[in-house]
Amino acid sequence: MIKRIHPQEVMKALTAVKDAASGRDIVALGCVKGVEIGDGRVSVALEMPPPISVTTPAGQQLLRAVHEAVEALEGGTVEIHVARPPAETAGASGPASAPGARHGSAAADAAGAPPKLAPGVKATIAVASGKGGVGKSTVAANLAVALACAGRSVGLMDTDVYGPSVPILLGAHHEPSVVEGKLEPPVEHGVKIISMGYFLPKDEAVIWRGPMLHKTVQQFLGDVRWGNLDYLVVDMPPGTGDIQLSLCQTAALTGAVIVSTPQDLALTVASKAIAMFQKLNVPILGVVENMSYHVCSECGHREDIFGHGGARAAAERLGFAFLGEIPLDLRIRTESDNGRPVALDGATPQGKAFREVATALEAELAKAQVAEEMVIE
Amino acid sequence: MVPAPKKVTLAGENKSVVVSWSDGHRSLYPYAYLREKCPCATCTDAHGTGSRPTARPAAAPGALPMYEDPLKPVKAEAVGRYALSITWSDGHATGIYSFDYLRGLCPCGECGEKAQG
Repeated sequence: MIKRIHPQEVMKALTAVKDAASGRDIVALGCVKGVEIGDGRVSVALEMPPPISVTTPAGQQLLRAVHEAVEALEGGTVEIHVARPPAETAGASGPASAPGARHGSAAADAAGAPPKLAPGVKATIAVASGKGGVGKSTVAANLAVALACAGRSVGLMDTDVYGPSVPILLGAHHEPSVVEGKLEPPVEHGVKIISMGYFLPKDEAVIWRGPMLHKTVQQFLGDVRWGNLDYLVVDMPPGTGDIQLSLCQTAALTGAVIVSTPQDLALTVASKAIAMFQKLNVPILGVVENMSYHVCSECGHREDIFGHGGARAAAERLGFAFLGEIPLDLRIRTESDNGRPVALDGATPQGKAFREVATALEAELAKAQVAEEMVIE
Repeated sequence: MVPAPKKVTLAGENKSVVVSWSDGHRSLYPYAYLREKCPCATCTDAHGTGSRPTARPAAAPGALPMYEDPLKPVKAEAVGRYALSITWSDGHATGIYSFDYLRGLCPCGECGEKAQG
């Protein structure tokens, strides 16, 4: 019986395989170059730790250990591809390649900037609220899809590790894979996605303290092959806690979009999120009013369940752009649960609402002044 | 929004970190003063276990035991869009100086008067 397993599980199992010479595990040594799963096969791309060759007994022993570790997961036939290590070009570059100087990064540079995480991303936009349940993830997912439909290259990073919902909203048809030691994000509806939802069995929970959350945010930014993106949309968990702070510290966010329902209670809590972003020098790009009104699908009667226009009024009072209103609508719910975001179809009123928010957001981004990067010498 | 630093020079004149701000102001922070004002939890006793300076690394072998390298910043990095973190030669690196806080620390006469008035 073949189990459905995850590349991450394979990586985890491989951490048990140690290089006898250094005593370190082969994942930490960077010997695992890739894991692919499919067609009843688990393929592992390996590179031998330097002095060992495949033909030696030590090499054979290592291969056996890898085979056993992967086979124990019962994910299918195990295939191991051994790649030759790249020619020893590193040796020629002298002291810079000494142990500790990782990838010849700026670490050795006394006052230089740290290596930028996700360097190919032009703009990083956080979608946040104070209160939970106002539709942040729905707005973030549809916004990402609407931007992709407008021809932009878009990524969506779901930092809500406690309640990851992006894989459900966009339909998890693909899974992340490991390529050259980094995560290749799956693409759904033209959007590159990463979410804790991919790494967690359905009924498991993330019960973590701050440092683990911080690490996750760093990995989502730095260890994912985002490539060149016009926009990286970040879906945040509710509140003003560890994840929000980590994100604002690790990424120089271009700006934040605040989602709120129209009633006073939600707006009061949203103002806390706004205060946090202002304290951390992240510009507020605008406010989206979700669940703005409800139109009865039977009789067409419109009812303002949470009141109406509260977010627009609040945005105007605080001097932020109002990006648009999204109705409380049965179709948005059903399509979201089916993994087909309504923004895919710009002809429907629901899809149009999200497309308009995306257009308004791009207009705000164009207006927003690009903060000069601080020079450190 | 508070002014942000445009340029930070670690090896500034008079053993100071020099910050040029977006509003044109220029601040000089002597090394010892800036290290003393480190806002991290250990230095400000936020842990409630008494504030204490972090241990200096052991003197290099051969150096006189009472000799200490003069304190200086080794490295600085931007923290998001709102702060600067500084790694000091004594190994301390946990302080995150928000721009707001850093500007408030400016020891020049002009800023001092503003703070008092």
